[in-house]
Amino acid sequence: MSIEQQYRTRAKELLSSGEVKMVIGYSKGSTPDRRRPAFISTPEDVETLVLDGACIANLSGYLVTEGLLSDEKRVAVFLRPEGIRAINILAAEFQLNAAQVEILGFNTEGNEPTALSGSKVDDFAELIGTLKGIIPDTAGEELYKKLEAMSPQERFDFWQSEFSKCIKCYACRQACPMCYCRRCIVDNNQPQWVNTSSHTLGNFEWNIVRAFHLSGRCVECGNCDRACPVNIPLRLINRKMAGEVLEAFDHFAGSSQTQEPVMASFKKDDTETFIL
Amino acid sequence: MSEQFEPEIVAFVCTYCTYAGADLAGTSRLKYAPNVRIIRLPCTGRISPMFILKALQKGADGVLISGCHPGDCHFTHGNYHARRRWMVFRALLNFIGIPPERIKYSWISAAEGLKFADLINSITEDIRKLGPFEQYDKLIAETEAQASL
Amino acid sequence: MSKIGVFICHCGENIAAKVDCTRVAEVLGDHPGVGASVEYKYFCSDPGQESVKRAIRENNLTGVVVAACSPRMHEATFRKACAEAGLNPYMCEIANIREQCSWVHNDGEQATDKAIDIIRSMVEKVKRNNMLQPIEVPVTRRALVIGGGIAGIQAALDIANAGQEVVLVEREPSLGGHMAQLSETFPTLDCSQCIMTPRMVEASQHPKIRLLTYAEVEHVDGYIGNFKVKVRMKARYVNKDTCTGCGECITKCPQKKLSSEFDCGIGKRTAIYTPFAQAVPNKPVIDKDNCTYFKNGKCKVCVKSCPLDCIDFEMQDEFIDLEIGAIVVATGFQVQNNAVYGEYGYGKYADVINGLQFERLASASGPTSGKILRPSDGKEPENIVFIQCAGSRDPSKGVKYCSKICCMYTAKHAMLYAHKVHGGKSNIFYMDIRAAGKGYDEFTRRAIEEDEAGYVRGRVSKVWQENGKLMVRGADTLLGRPVEVAADMVVLATAMVPQPDAKDFAKVVGIGYDEYGFFNEAHLKLRPVESSTAGIYLAGACQSPKDIPDSVAQASASASKVLALFSKEKLEREPVIAVNNEATCAGCWGCVLACPYNAIEKKDILDRSGKVIKRVASVNPGLCQGCGTCVTFCRSNSIDLAGFTEKQIFAEVMGL
Repeated sequence: MSIEQQYRTRAKELLSSGEVKMVIGYSKGSTPDRRRPAFISTPEDVETLVLDGACIANLSGYLVTEGLLSDEKRVAVFLRPEGIRAINILAAEFQLNAAQVEILGFNTEGNEPTALSGSKVDDFAELIGTLKGIIPDTAGEELYKKLEAMSPQERFDFWQSEFSKCIKCYACRQACPMCYCRRCIVDNNQPQWVNTSSHTLGNFEWNIVRAFHLSGRCVECGNCDRACPVNIPLRLINRKMAGEVLEAFDHFAGSSQTQEPVMASFKKDDTETFIL
Repeated sequence: MSEQFEPEIVAFVCTYCTYAGADLAGTSRLKYAPNVRIIRLPCTGRISPMFILKALQKGADGVLISGCHPGDCHFTHGNYHARRRWMVFRALLNFIGIPPERIKYSWISAAEGLKFADLINSITEDIRKLGPFEQYDKLIAETEAQASL
Repeated sequence: MSKIGVFICHCGENIAAKVDCTRVAEVLGDHPGVGASVEYKYFCSDPGQESVKRAIRENNLTGVVVAACSPRMHEATFRKACAEAGLNPYMCEIANIREQCSWVHNDGEQATDKAIDIIRSMVEKVKRNNMLQPIEVPVTRRALVIGGGIAGIQAALDIANAGQEVVLVEREPSLGGHMAQLSETFPTLDCSQCIMTPRMVEASQHPKIRLLTYAEVEHVDGYIGNFKVKVRMKARYVNKDTCTGCGECITKCPQKKLSSEFDCGIGKRTAIYTPFAQAVPNKPVIDKDNCTYFKNGKCKVCVKSCPLDCIDFEMQDEFIDLEIGAIVVATGFQVQNNAVYGEYGYGKYADVINGLQFERLASASGPTSGKILRPSDGKEPENIVFIQCAGSRDPSKGVKYCSKICCMYTAKHAMLYAHKVHGGKSNIFYMDIRAAGKGYDEFTRRAIEEDEAGYVRGRVSKVWQENGKLMVRGADTLLGRPVEVAADMVVLATAMVPQPDAKDFAKVVGIGYDEYGFFNEAHLKLRPVESSTAGIYLAGACQSPKDIPDSVAQASASASKVLALFSKEKLEREPVIAVNNEATCAGCWGCVLACPYNAIEKKDILDRSGKVIKRVASVNPGLCQGCGTCVTFCRSNSIDLAGFTEKQIFAEVMGL
């Protein structure tokens, strides 16, 4: 039985038994290589579920849709390892109760999905442990290395040309499971910390704030990257930050649902070589 | 160049240590470069990364963040939280291309008036050598309209 | 529309010599929103302050910037002046153009330019200042003292004698603590019980003190002036209201061989017991774990012997809820378990004892009625070796710190031994004699010169038994040779350590502790009796090793802090505190974790049917100290700090 069929059967069981009220998965998209999220709440509809190499979006963000989990019923969701880490973060930040999430875990090696064993977020602790320090998707790796090698001036020029394209559509924010705030800092106009007009200075500020707020929280699922209509390589900034918190504070985002948020905690012997 | 470049530096400091240290520099009549403008906050924990971005937008060529030495925070832990944020924010700015040499961090206690004066002098000199932050200045010029208060 | 008054002070020549105050006044006078811009020689003088007040009234100013010396000098002065002129004092700010401008720059023109920037920035801030009101916190005038040793009793008596209510909680069946166990006390050699028991009785009979013994603090909630405390009253199995303390039950109890905690294991007690004869209250409790009835369901000898039917085996733990304004923590210490020093033979040889056990031997009310007798065979020892620093100043096996009291009590032990056993010979192995304190060095000299205590500077490497003697091998580092002494008894001056459950207790109460478990003071030098949590104070050895005079002094200091707090009906605090916008809060509770004062709580917002519709953070204004670290953390920009709001600081930067 293919993993797709296996998970359809599992989804059907979960829905028929009433164990979950909804299954969040993937269905066919507008083009053959695209998938769109599917929200299945009747057993008959599970046949529309698709699971293949094109299923790359991190669906965890849909779980924090307002009111979805407030009835304390459970929801099943298709998640890759990054998505599972995202559940840990959302639980650690009190945005959801992980006990309400049934995980249909999978990974895609090459183009073929493989099943991950486990159904509760804690079942995947060992797997997550092995992923510490490994970049989930090395897309843009070459560019990342190039950027690292540049001088700040050159990097500035690079990002200036990238950010000049930004139209402040906030699709990156919308697509990110971690951007769950009811009001984003840019939506606060008293004071207006971030220039909202889409000139390059404002775009710099927005993207810096976004990356700062995701420091130690980003699982590098790439949702922001894919959502960006002007193709700014946003995930590279997040990758830099993930590397930074790992190196400086040994923090691998989403390791467990009790992990302390790295930016709200400290150690007395944190590194401080740069302070005069 | 006939006239030397005078950098503008904005300092965000905590009131209990660095602000008091700056006061001590004054009562000791130490002399230092007049390029720094100090913004007083209760604690380094209150110093948001946004302040740095706004100082840059206002045309600062350099920014100084300073507070109590580790273990000395009036609020016991504010500087420890701040240190983590700076560590991360510093790396972020560097990756975006804002040179870390322009954003300085220090611990200055209420007793270190001399350290404060010396630091302001050396930072002013360092940033003078870097010259104006032309790349950012261009972005500011592009915005034309001043940010509304 | 703002009408800000700008007052530029010359400070005599201090400012005016460098800063062109007239130009500054002109430039600021033209700044939008400035209603008056004036200069004067000394604004802090009476006529200067009057001119500020007049300007506020005449121009209907909405805010004031005084450009002068540091706010650390005169912020309070000018805020008061503003209040007297009818302006909210928090609408006044100081622009520091003296310490941070005129005094530190040589060039007048640059100093003037800088002064203008500083003042303009401050004007922009003041435009956005809010009319804050000092926070008034009601104060419940009832103190809780935790711990009924000498420190706790002293604090309770001081507070109660000043007319305020006190609840004194002690977890043992009786007041007294360690001091009640001591024989004589240094440096005066007065009997500990003789000076302690009257205090215990006074505390128990004081009309303002409610005494809860055999009780433990379970839970502490709330904040300064308004703590809610839950106390567990452990079941005594004896009705203490009807019990007269006749002691019949104790005499009859068949379980007589239990090790007495009070006598540090060298005395015995019964299963129904009072810790010692002068216990307060002098009413027994039943040790459930060792009572024959509780173990086998048979016995009830005590029930039969009690003339007043006080025994109740069905008794359960009870809980008492208290409303408390201030807490004094006086939970004391323990002595380190010397079993870690295998080479000294503690726990292996009955005649190797610790200092507290020696106190019980020397005590007139102890198991030997004050005779120094060997635990092993009850013989009078002819020779005792005392080993100082058995645990203290030993980072490898013991603790790094000096326990402070051992040099003194070892000298005292040697003296007591000399007085009680004529011809008895003592040897004291020591590292240093630390006898700083009133009458202390004289005391140790007396031990050496009059009572012939034999001090040997050096460490002991081994104690073993040979021919009925304890052989002590050490080094005399002054003579540079090894020493071997045959002793009848060895007394270890054991390190003072925190109570074993000190760290857990600290978490219950909400105070900090150090690496050992001693409670942290707010400032080691300047606030040594306050914990870092407002309204909670420390007394005695729970903070660090202390002797009796130091413990009593700190207890009285804590009491004075409590009384100062209770001197007003309401506590007034600076309104610089965090405020959360619950409408935009995402409820990630990072601020809850980041807050150094546990001042942010998790809050559920419920609908009418009681269903949780939203979870947010909520700042407790009584606990918040106003550092603002939560504000910087908050991603949704929901939490803000009054007096240093996001708007104000944004304006300050953009106004530069």
